[in-house]
Amino acid sequence: MFPSSLVYSVISVMGPIITGLMVSGRVGAGIGAQLASMKVTEQIDAIEASAINPYRLLAATRILACILMMPLLTLAADASGLLAGWFAQTLVEPLSIHQFITSGFQGATFNAFLPPTFKTMAYGLIIGLVSCFEGMRTVGGAEGVGRAATNSVVLSSLFVILADVVLVKLILVFFT
Amino acid sequence: MNVSMPATIENPEKKTQPDKDMTAAVVSVDNVCKSFGNMKVLDGVSLSISHGETLAVLGRSGTGKSVLLRLIIGLVNPDSGSISVNGNNFAGLALDQLGEIRKKMGFLFQQSALYDSLSIAENVAFPLEHHRSSMSKAEHDERVKQLLDEVGMNGDSTKMPSEISGGMKKRVGLARALALEPEILLLDEPTAGLDPISSDEIDDLVLKLQRERKMASIIVTHDLHSARKISNRIALLNKGKVVIEGSFDNLQQSEIAFVKEFLRLS
Repeated sequence: MFPSSLVYSVISVMGPIITGLMVSGRVGAGIGAQLASMKVTEQIDAIEASAINPYRLLAATRILACILMMPLLTLAADASGLLAGWFAQTLVEPLSIHQFITSGFQGATFNAFLPPTFKTMAYGLIIGLVSCFEGMRTVGGAEGVGRAATNSVVLSSLFVILADVVLVKLILVFFT
Repeated sequence: MNVSMPATIENPEKKTQPDKDMTAAVVSVDNVCKSFGNMKVLDGVSLSISHGETLAVLGRSGTGKSVLLRLIIGLVNPDSGSISVNGNNFAGLALDQLGEIRKKMGFLFQQSALYDSLSIAENVAFPLEHHRSSMSKAEHDERVKQLLDEVGMNGDSTKMPSEISGGMKKRVGLARALALEPEILLLDEPTAGLDPISSDEIDDLVLKLQRERKMASIIVTHDLHSARKISNRIALLNKGKVVIEGSFDNLQQSEIAFVKEFLRLS
């Protein structure tokens, strides 16, 4: 019972949302601070003055990277969660990893696991959009950079949680 | 009143007129107003500049000199009035259309605005990589070397912007501004914060480039000495308006109190 509950909870719920929140904190803050720093030192203006579209060069690439990397990071988070679960299980009742995986994935279908993994692409979109927006509209020197980094983390985490609520409901409606 | 300047700073070559009829305005600023919040920075400014001409824009801090340059390159939009470059009005242009006009302009930022994650050579190569994609890597490298040679920075091409001085950053910024062989060069305080020798070197460099390339240039500066040395014409701004526009002699002969005060204290 424990392995299948763990597999379901990690892959359907915990993996995606924890990955979303971790990426919001780590990558969101990084994008927000980097773009904000470029903005206050006129580097983004310099890009624009060089007849290069800064939104395409700086924002579109980061947003695309966030969208594409989120499912992969989620898979890594899922694997880590399951490994930690197996470790905890073996402390209580020794079980080989093969037995753990076999029993955990028993009766599982792709429909149960693919949508939760791929819904994280929406989180990537949110994190990329929010962080780029906060970074590129920064004003006010070093204080503005700090504010952009904080806002990127806070807003993208908030929107990721809100999106999760909506997406879980949609997945329940359309995939179960 | 000490308005006379040493005769040595007069550069006879700057008086050389363009060798072909290029009297049409390449940059035309017509009755432009710009405010930030309640503060009116520019209030009905009109200026124009022709091929091969160098206009120095002088004035007190906060009178909108840098804003004027940012308006001309389209980084800021005017509240009213119009700006045209080579006859193309900026109003209503999309970013990509604006980009086509900007390719003909080079901009040296006040703080140089070098990309801090790129080396000196990569900074100069940046516009080339985006707009001269037909050039081979070897041609890019050769062009970057040539540009850095022109500004005397070839020995530092692998350094990062954080490893060079303010004057060197200005030189690299200038090389980057020249990368696409612009017809119009906009320089925002090219000598600000530099020692007199570095300032003079930058002035000489700008003069050399003007002689060789016959570009139209607009130079924003506080430095009257520098303005007199490198420009054909001077416009003095105060409280968002052009107080006087003309040669340095015109400024000297002016009876306007602000002009007299500005020259006396410069």
